[in-house]
Amino acid sequence: MTNESFDNLILELRRGVIVLAVLSQLEKEQYGYSLINGLREHNLEIDQGTLYPLLRRLESQGLLQSNWRIESDRPRRYYMLSNEGRKLLPRLKEEWAGIVSLMKKLL
Amino acid sequence: MSTNLIDTYVSEVGRRLPGKTRTDIEAEIRSILQDMVDERSQKTGKPVDEEMTLQVLKEYGAPEKVAATYTGERYLIGPRLYPVFALVLRIVLLVIGTLAAIGLGIAVYQMFGHPQNAFETILKAIANFGTSVMTALGNIVLIFAIMEWALFRAGVKVDVKGLPQIKEWDPRVLTKVSTPNQVKMGETIVETVGCFAAIVIFNFYPQIIGFTPSLNSVFENGTWSSVSFIPLLSQAFFHYVPFLSLVWSMTIILNIVLLRMGYWTILTRVSTICLKVFGILIAFAMLAVPSLVAVNTPALVSALGDAEGARILMTLLTQGVRVALRITIIGGCIDLIRAVYRMVTAVK
Repeated sequence: MTNESFDNLILELRRGVIVLAVLSQLEKEQYGYSLINGLREHNLEIDQGTLYPLLRRLESQGLLQSNWRIESDRPRRYYMLSNEGRKLLPRLKEEWAGIVSLMKKLL
Repeated sequence: MSTNLIDTYVSEVGRRLPGKTRTDIEAEIRSILQDMVDERSQKTGKPVDEEMTLQVLKEYGAPEKVAATYTGERYLIGPRLYPVFALVLRIVLLVIGTLAAIGLGIAVYQMFGHPQNAFETILKAIANFGTSVMTALGNIVLIFAIMEWALFRAGVKVDVKGLPQIKEWDPRVLTKVSTPNQVKMGETIVETVGCFAAIVIFNFYPQIIGFTPSLNSVFENGTWSSVSFIPLLSQAFFHYVPFLSLVWSMTIILNIVLLRMGYWTILTRVSTICLKVFGILIAFAMLAVPSLVAVNTPALVSALGDAEGARILMTLLTQGVRVALRITIIGGCIDLIRAVYRMVTAVK
């Protein structure tokens, strides 16, 4: 297996968890760049090319809400879980816990 | 100035974005880039300069790539429409091929009297076929590209297999129990092929519609050259062909949509009814035209060599075309009533 195919497999694996990871960090308001750094601190590397379109998509799905704020002379877009997102997050976490225990048994 | 660089970059990305979300995304990217540059300046302890901005922009990625992450893949004809496109293409090529074969047959038949033109005739027939195929292909691709664009704008979600999830899979479909809302595939395909054949014939091969009055003269004179082929329909008739073609084209489009969806909705039912009404109105208008037939008695006389027979045949033809129109109207009305009835019962 080439390096590239292996990397693709890893990417596929990670792709599944990104949404949950992102949602879990947005219980309080964050702007895009602070979110990336926050995830990086937890060793989850995420590319801007992936994150920002994802945030838009999640917002259009009603899970996030955003607003523009001017800080230090510059507008920034802040994202946060919407009401629906807050209702959904615990269910997603539960689902994830189920998957983890399932995989533990399989592996 | 580095802000100018960022602005230029942002508008390069924005250029490739759909109008609705462009300003919003541009503002977001600008804000992100400014944050990135600031952070780098803090980390390195150096002030923001052009070199630093260029570095950040390089890491962020080429404008096309960035824009693509927001728009997703664009297809001329995407995976959800492609199967239908392929189906339509096959049907169309089949029809054109058949008609071309008929046309070639007629050309060969007519050239028996002029063997010196044989090569030219065959060449012309092949060229004709080639042109029809190109035109048909071009039109079909155009129609499907427009549908793809429309679906893209509407944001129809595509599931894993590339088909829009519209209806739930019901195994009862297998027992062929026809629910009132189910589209009858067979009927629809036949109608589509019929409309397409009509469009091709009346627009590209009108000369087919005619007849050879009699082969009597052949036997009398012993040569094939006196076989005459008389086109049946007059200019007045062909005046209506564009309108008919429009109705046929729209019927084809509607049927493609129906085949795709698999079931009727109010919208599709109403559209069908409107198309049928339109068709009936055209047929009525055509009835009012005095002469749809291009033949006239003297021409028939010279072809048949029999005045009385010519007159009878002439009357038959003129009346025949009108009768055909009336039958079409009556059939259309029955069809219309059925469609309305189905709509009313389905709504309940």
